[in-house]
Amino acid sequence: MRLKLAVIVALAFAVAGCGSKGEQTNTNVPTGTLTIGASLSSTGSLAREGILTKEGYDVCVNVVNGKGGVQVGNQKMKLEIKYQDDTSKSDLAGQLMDQFNDQGLKLILGPYGSGATAAAAASVERNGQVMVDSSGADDAIFTKGYKRTFAVLSPATLYATSMVEAINELVTPKPTTIAFISADDGFSKTATAAAVTRAQALGFTVIPPEFVPNGTTDVSSALTKIKPTNPDVIIGSAHLAEGVAIVKQSTELGVKPKGFAETVAPPTPDFVQALSKSAEGVLGSTQWTIKTKGTDKWFGSASDYAKTFAGQFNGREVEYHGAEATAACLALVLAVEKAGSTDPTKVRDTLAGLNEQSFFGPIKFNDKGQNLTKTMGVIQIQNGKPVSVWPKEAAEAPLKWPGNA
Amino acid sequence: MARQRVTGSQVAQVTIYGLLQGGLLALVAVGFSLVWGVMNVVNLAHGAFVITGAYIAWEINRAVGLDPFLAMVPTAIVLFVLGYVIQRGLVNLVVNAPIFITLLLTFGLNLLLVNGMILRYKANYQSIPTSYAARSLVLPGDVHVPYGRLIAAVIAIGLTLALAFAVRRTRLGLSILATGMDRGAARLMGIRAAHVYAVTFGLAAAMAGMAGAAVGTVSTFSPADAGRLTLFSFVAAVLGGLGNMYGALYGGLLLGLVEAWGGQLLDTTLVNVVAFTVVVVVLVVRPQGLAGRPFYASRVEV
Amino acid sequence: MTTTAPKVSTVAVMPQPVARRWRKLTPWGVLLLAGVAGLGLQTQLYAGQERTVTTVLMYVGLAAAWNLIGGFAGYACFGQVGFFGLGGYTTAVLMVHLRWSFWLALPVAAVFVGLFALLIGLPLLRLKGHYFAVATLGVAEGLREVVINTPSLTGGGAGITVPTFGDAVTPYLGKDGFYLLFLGLAVAVVAADLLVARTRSGYALRAIHQDEDAAAAMGVNTTLTKTLAFASSAALTGAIGAAYAFQQVTFYPDRLFDVEITVLMVVMVILGGAGTVVGPVIGAVVVAYGSEYLRQHLPTVHTLVLGALIVVAVILLPQGFVNYLREATRQRQFSLLENVRRYRL
Repeated sequence: MRLKLAVIVALAFAVAGCGSKGEQTNTNVPTGTLTIGASLSSTGSLAREGILTKEGYDVCVNVVNGKGGVQVGNQKMKLEIKYQDDTSKSDLAGQLMDQFNDQGLKLILGPYGSGATAAAAASVERNGQVMVDSSGADDAIFTKGYKRTFAVLSPATLYATSMVEAINELVTPKPTTIAFISADDGFSKTATAAAVTRAQALGFTVIPPEFVPNGTTDVSSALTKIKPTNPDVIIGSAHLAEGVAIVKQSTELGVKPKGFAETVAPPTPDFVQALSKSAEGVLGSTQWTIKTKGTDKWFGSASDYAKTFAGQFNGREVEYHGAEATAACLALVLAVEKAGSTDPTKVRDTLAGLNEQSFFGPIKFNDKGQNLTKTMGVIQIQNGKPVSVWPKEAAEAPLKWPGNA
Repeated sequence: MARQRVTGSQVAQVTIYGLLQGGLLALVAVGFSLVWGVMNVVNLAHGAFVITGAYIAWEINRAVGLDPFLAMVPTAIVLFVLGYVIQRGLVNLVVNAPIFITLLLTFGLNLLLVNGMILRYKANYQSIPTSYAARSLVLPGDVHVPYGRLIAAVIAIGLTLALAFAVRRTRLGLSILATGMDRGAARLMGIRAAHVYAVTFGLAAAMAGMAGAAVGTVSTFSPADAGRLTLFSFVAAVLGGLGNMYGALYGGLLLGLVEAWGGQLLDTTLVNVVAFTVVVVVLVVRPQGLAGRPFYASRVEV
Repeated sequence: MTTTAPKVSTVAVMPQPVARRWRKLTPWGVLLLAGVAGLGLQTQLYAGQERTVTTVLMYVGLAAAWNLIGGFAGYACFGQVGFFGLGGYTTAVLMVHLRWSFWLALPVAAVFVGLFALLIGLPLLRLKGHYFAVATLGVAEGLREVVINTPSLTGGGAGITVPTFGDAVTPYLGKDGFYLLFLGLAVAVVAADLLVARTRSGYALRAIHQDEDAAAAMGVNTTLTKTLAFASSAALTGAIGAAYAFQQVTFYPDRLFDVEITVLMVVMVILGGAGTVVGPVIGAVVVAYGSEYLRQHLPTVHTLVLGALIVVAVILLPQGFVNYLREATRQRQFSLLENVRRYRL
């Protein structure tokens, strides 16, 4: 019986293999539409950030098409993005790049997160596509010699360093000891290493960083080890779960620095929601605030962009994940217009030479594909809202110290 | 990394915090251990029940501002009903099948529950804010005992004691024990096994829900945590041993201590390696765990 | 007086030894046919489909490998992905740090994983049922944590990248190359399954599944047989992991040691029919293809639907499709609800 079944299965294989190859269903849309591929995490652990990124891309599509579309040569093309779900799994992002390539989509907008971006960048390089990265900040992506991935956002090395700079510049009397708690994923470790170097160069005493498992909600061991050193500042280089745990468990364990600073988490509304009053005074670094300087012809200034976003999403305030996504889409649009073509190599070369101002700040890529011309901003939670405090020119309010009342 | 000398107050702090962590883990694991011990069903959706409880307590807190520890009561009731229905309607259908089957069934349930929650709530991390949970009782030597975790640990112990009492003194509890020992014989004695199993599962789900309310208050939660919670319930149940109502408590406390001390003495990132090594070693050396009965180690697996 | 036995008329019946030999060879013939068909299929697929079929082939291999320890021997190994990841990372480390060729790294990684399984199998295989499952799960999770904590070797949480362009030792195989690689691996693993199903040692393994003590009493060296099965299953899974690592180029510990991969393997084997040769193949094809299809067409709810489908399938077909089919045709009873009645409380 089972043998018969096996024969049937084998024959099924054989039958499938016979006959002529069918026509590949042409998913290339007719000329007149510029189609871009984007793989995002709509499900899985990174679903939230993936959705925020998608919103940023959607705003770009709406605004560009609302203004008539992208000027390619002497033709105006409608902008369209084809989305696929990478279920928050990095390697799937790489496979999806290959799938886009099969469909003829050579222009790509980046997925969410450094892990997925790294996997996608490898595929993109191999396939001859071009990708503009909106959220993969880890510098490690750009040390592999890739020439076809460009990141509009500031790299990981600036995430924690910018807060060190802000503290150095704005806090008097200058704090003496800084302790670091870092998650052990690539992005966080890069951010921590850079910040430690900078802090030491600026004359702070730096406690050797404590590393915690990525995504943990328990950092008590790290805090018990830090407590006897009495740090003035605790800098957390991690994501939301660890970030909330650091503040909460510090209160539990009686660790009382004069202030907390964290990458990634504080600018998001979840941070304030989870901590309510304990979030007051926490510093955070952000890729963009409403005070960022720069304008461009599509989105205007930072505050214009915020208004556009609120208009499209029921008055909801935009935060930097959406902004960096829109900026990535903008960079691609600008490059296509300048190149006058959608050919991936021409677009890539134009991106390499791009030098533009935008609502997101200056966009100019170095030879590795990183945007080092833009600075990160530092915010502080004041009265339950993130308020930009650094750089001084873009500050909405003075930095309050001690942050941890 | 420079190793500092561990001070006396640090020893006390780490131990106490570890025990409190363990108490919370025990609360999470007690239902899991009950179901495994009585029905030989490993419920891979247990973590999802915990998170469901957390969301229910969170919603109640958002809607009427009820303190999450008080909200444990309605949460437990809702989850009891959910557990009863799932057992009576689904799991009872495969209880006689090989273990893979129940594992797969609960895995499918887990996928359903977790992704249902992600659809409804997204994967954001939430927390139930209270004014007192993060504040601590300060003992001499600057040893902090956070109130939230203390309450959770006390509830864990209380629940375990109540369970042990109920199982030996009430009719229903005795039927649960009897069905767990020998289903055939229990049925011959007139015990309705399907109902008893459903009650057991419902109880386990209710306790998971209460644990969820505690987890939500004391730290953050998200549907993505469900798998990790199930895994730690596994570990606690195995360490403590089956066939004994106190097994999850012992296992949880031990696990909490191991994690706290492991994180202190080694790099914090090695904590999980330590936990898993301990599990494997215990399984090889003493499969019935700390307090389990040897009978359960060699139970004939259908 | 001696009476001679009446002559048995040897009419036109194939002599017994020849008939038996044919029956023995037919399954191998079928496997060969399937392999050739797989080759033929490749020419008919365009790029996107080819990738999907490659993934399906990978899962066929994984499911068939798990079948060795989980299906035939009945030991529910829940840490199978540990071998997968170990094979992948060993290959990557060899290619990155020692600049080995992929074709050398793959067999070496497979052997290494097999030896590792041999080592941990000795204590672990003394456990049974859920305990064995938890212990192997612990080993898999432990392996992942070890990988995360040795960043200088494995890149840790930051991932590792296999060299594929520039001065890489082995050029990237490309879509077609990987299709052939996974096809070859799948055929190899199914061949291993066939070996177990049709030979003496296979009988020993299946005897252990049915009643280990009786098997031991009959003279089967249970420890040796179990451990060999475990090690072979691990080595084959490690080989597939190695191929996957090369295909992905950049990968992270969370993905290569993802528990979901183990569970998918188990689902495929159980639903297809554990302990048969064809069962895991069918299960793998249906489940892998199904989940790919769901993911592409129902982007937000596909895991939800997958969970619901698993629940339904497990309730209606607990013995697996192949066994159901066999019993149904034998008893001429096709009702799925009968199935449910058999296992319910």
